[in-house]
Amino acid sequence: MAIASAAAESLTQGTPETTENDLQPFFVFHKASSRKSDKKPTGTGKTRRRIDLSPSSPNKTEKSEPDKAGERDEHCNEHLRTEAFELVWSKINSTIKDILRGINTSVFNEIHHWVLESFNATESLGTPGFTEATRSFPIVTDATSKLLFTGMVLTGNMEFVDDLLTFEDLGLFLRSNGCHVANLSSLDFSAKSGIGGCLRGLLRQFLKATLYEADISILASWYREQENHNTPVVVIIDDMERCCGSVLSDFILMLRNLLPSNVLQHLCPFKFILGSPAERMDAVVEAVLVKQCSGFSVGHKVAVFLKNYFLNQDGTLTSFIRALKIACAQHFSMEPLSFILGGLLVEEKQKGEKNGLQPELVLKYTSQLPSYARNQMAEQNGKSLVHRFSELRRLHKCWSTVVLCLYEAGKYNKIRLLDLLCEALNPDLYTSRASNDHVVLEKDVGVPMATDRCIRRKYSTLRKGGFVGQIVRKVRDLPALMLYQLLKSWEKTTVDVLEIHEKVKDLQSLLRFEDGKLRPNVDDISKKHSSRSPLNMEKESKEVNEKAAALIDCLVRDYLRPIECIPLHEIFCFKNVEKLQLALIGDPRRRIQVDLLEFHKILRCGCCSKSGNVLLPSMHDTSIMYTLAQEHGDLINLHDWFQSFKTVVLHPSSKGKHKSKQSPYPKKRKDTHDSENKGEASIQARFCRAVTELQITGLLRMPSRRRPDCVQRVAFGL
Amino acid sequence: MEINNGVEDEELEEEEEFGFSRNYFLAKELGGSGKKSTRKLSDIGLVDEQELRAAASNIEPKHEKEIVALMNSYKSMYPKWVFELRCGFGLLMYGFGSKKSLIEDFASTALTEYSVVVINGYLQTINVKQVVISLAELLADQLRTKRANTSGNLSKQPFNSRSMDDLLAFLNGSQTEDKDCFICIVVHNIDGPGLRDPETQQYLSQIAACSCIRIIASIDHVNSALLWDKKMVHTQFNWCWYHVPTFAPYRIEGMFFPMILAHGSTAQTAKTAAIVLQSLTPNAQSVFRGLAEHQLSHPDEEGMPINDLYAICRERFLVSSQVTLNSHLTEFKDHELVKTRRHSDGQDCLYIPLTAEALKKLLAEISQ
Repeated sequence: MAIASAAAESLTQGTPETTENDLQPFFVFHKASSRKSDKKPTGTGKTRRRIDLSPSSPNKTEKSEPDKAGERDEHCNEHLRTEAFELVWSKINSTIKDILRGINTSVFNEIHHWVLESFNATESLGTPGFTEATRSFPIVTDATSKLLFTGMVLTGNMEFVDDLLTFEDLGLFLRSNGCHVANLSSLDFSAKSGIGGCLRGLLRQFLKATLYEADISILASWYREQENHNTPVVVIIDDMERCCGSVLSDFILMLRNLLPSNVLQHLCPFKFILGSPAERMDAVVEAVLVKQCSGFSVGHKVAVFLKNYFLNQDGTLTSFIRALKIACAQHFSMEPLSFILGGLLVEEKQKGEKNGLQPELVLKYTSQLPSYARNQMAEQNGKSLVHRFSELRRLHKCWSTVVLCLYEAGKYNKIRLLDLLCEALNPDLYTSRASNDHVVLEKDVGVPMATDRCIRRKYSTLRKGGFVGQIVRKVRDLPALMLYQLLKSWEKTTVDVLEIHEKVKDLQSLLRFEDGKLRPNVDDISKKHSSRSPLNMEKESKEVNEKAAALIDCLVRDYLRPIECIPLHEIFCFKNVEKLQLALIGDPRRRIQVDLLEFHKILRCGCCSKSGNVLLPSMHDTSIMYTLAQEHGDLINLHDWFQSFKTVVLHPSSKGKHKSKQSPYPKKRKDTHDSENKGEASIQARFCRAVTELQITGLLRMPSRRRPDCVQRVAFGL
Repeated sequence: MEINNGVEDEELEEEEEFGFSRNYFLAKELGGSGKKSTRKLSDIGLVDEQELRAAASNIEPKHEKEIVALMNSYKSMYPKWVFELRCGFGLLMYGFGSKKSLIEDFASTALTEYSVVVINGYLQTINVKQVVISLAELLADQLRTKRANTSGNLSKQPFNSRSMDDLLAFLNGSQTEDKDCFICIVVHNIDGPGLRDPETQQYLSQIAACSCIRIIASIDHVNSALLWDKKMVHTQFNWCWYHVPTFAPYRIEGMFFPMILAHGSTAQTAKTAAIVLQSLTPNAQSVFRGLAEHQLSHPDEEGMPINDLYAICRERFLVSSQVTLNSHLTEFKDHELVKTRRHSDGQDCLYIPLTAEALKKLLAEISQ
């Protein structure tokens, strides 16, 4: 008991007494130890490793030799996984940035063009003299006669957080095109720091200097320097809505004074509109989750969670990307073999365009697999593993190609890629598709399509409904011209997957574009329909529709195999939606209350677990108090609360069974006044502490002067 | 909402503010009867304050064994936490119970490779600029030892004379290619009283966003998440949430809260009033004393007319003009030492919102 309590003391309390550090606002806890240098393994995968798959690390006490070796291996593995994460995430991140930049390019060009035009307009009016230009702030002369060209960029986003990257990019873009650019945000326009705040921001960015005496004249003289002259100055303000209005207007007045005086009036606004958030979302999903730029993928449940998180939680792309990053980090922190992903990515980069796996390299990685070492797998098993990796890749490539084909078709129905993705990742749908399908798949690639059987089967996908069903239906009803365009886009999409590409080509060969109308290829069908009446032509083109629908239906059946249905997918695919949810969305309001109300589920103590709803004296004081508080309204009378608390802690439950040793009042309490008083003091102290703890959690408000005898409950229900 | 011309405006306001929530949430529970208990705290038979404090420091802990086991169970998470810090995330610990020793145990066992700075957010005042300065010094130190042989003069200007933007830029700098070179900040109670204001939270988020900084923080308040906007959450703090209830007592965190049974709240307000008064000039204290004495000797009056107080103060050479008196009064009002109310005859009068008992105690205290 003594040892246990000493340990408890050291863990729960640190040191029994308050140390000086506890009362310091801040202090250096420790400095980095120097043993860091020998931590890094010498190279990627050079040493033989045994990887411990058990999730929990071994006890930190007394280690035997193998334990130490195991720990070292684990450390190496961890390091490899960290590296892999960095590789994978930086790949994903740069892909996302490129995508977003690509979407913005045209608007950025427009903005740049406008900047130059406005600059020329300003320049043509002549420049002010030196003294005029470098006067100190504030100078308000002839305020109505000046004009400031202002571009308003409309983002259409839910939240300014999605615009941060856009404006950063815009700054870089304009800078690379020879403009002086400063990015300011609402933080620079606070009422507290006033105009000085934004001036300092400008000086910091233009002059690369921090000056305490911010003055516009410094900026003016900087601009008059030879190398800075003749270049437009662009000030980008991130989230204008959140700026302090008066500071912003002062700022505009001040900037206007830098301009020649004979320009027209007020601001001269121009409007630019960025791509819609949905468009951006689809582009990101396409690059990261469908085409899988990095090899990392997510399972069905995770995809559904991400979708719902985006739709319900906050609707910003930023939060979606963050969720993805957490998923990625969780994957690499939990899946011991995930480091293979990093290796594969490096390999791919080195090999450039070529797609394929080096058997030796994969062997090297898989030799580190515990299952490999344990089973003494033979060489050919290693090779078969290599084969399985490349098979997984191939299958996945097919999957993503089909998803993109579906997406192309779904665009006519305004189907969002994220919705489609969730359906395409659903393993249940895949298995049900497969089990419903008794027809043997067409193995013959030469005549893959257009077999009557395929059409007669009436689209297995159609029966299922859902987005895929909708898309197949849409393809059937698509007007000829759109169908032609769709096939064109399919041709482009499938170019990397020969087997699918050929099928599309075959279908395309049945069609030709003539006089602005799509016609079935004469060679094929003219034999049957020699008289080409409009009625027949319609029939013919319907037939093409049917065939296209049959094609996509076949593709779905044959190739839309979710990653979770492919062996070894665990290495590449993150599926643990619970972990992701917990890390992403904390729910302190509910969970802290649950902690208190169901504390025994967390502590798993023998004394309180079986109590049901009965409060026992052995329970945590604050839990007792909070449970008691549930019986009160929003005001809790302190007197009543104290009395019920006292009753609980003094009287063990009537069953008598649960009389706990930990109860501070043993039965044989001496009835002297002194000990009674002591007991009373202790109960009051415990009551006080519990109230304080509830106050810390914010679940209670302290008595007001008006109602000194009551505290207020804050949370009602979980 | 009904409009009442009642006497007790303050109370009514409060009623209205919370009436809605009360009716909404408790309609079922209470069956519509808003019956409130009116028993007094003083009926409990409160023990002496000293005895209470002594007892508070000797509370027998419960479930020690289980708490230790619970804490130990979190040790298996340490590698994952370090991994996530390396990935650039911040760790946010929540759940009931003090997480101070848990996080410090984590820091001392799993973060030995990194420098760790602790901020005690449960304290009343924390100077963030000072924190940033010492972070910068620590980082400069680290870089200096790293580039012992290469030429690198990092700081021309001492850090404590640099601006916040400058310091943050330094912490966010690309002086090092090594991604694994960062300083960890542990913030106990990032939602605590000393850090709760928006400006400090902005600074903290900017610090957390720096490339050379990682943050591990704890929260205890159920509404802490409201401190942050989306920019802070998604791009700066970049939290990974961890639910780690410990059920350990809030020993230090709770030190700064008044004990609810320590003679009700009067003792506390008298205590805080004394602290405020002691920080004022002797003249100001004497002005307050003048008002207090009047209030004690006229317990039935609603308050003291300002003119009467001015006359007394002039007599005692405490103030020379109405302006000086007003400046004293403003100070008192700001600290809620003095309030005004409308006298029944229509003129404003001053009173001290303390009971006679508390006021006597207070006078005794400031005259020491």
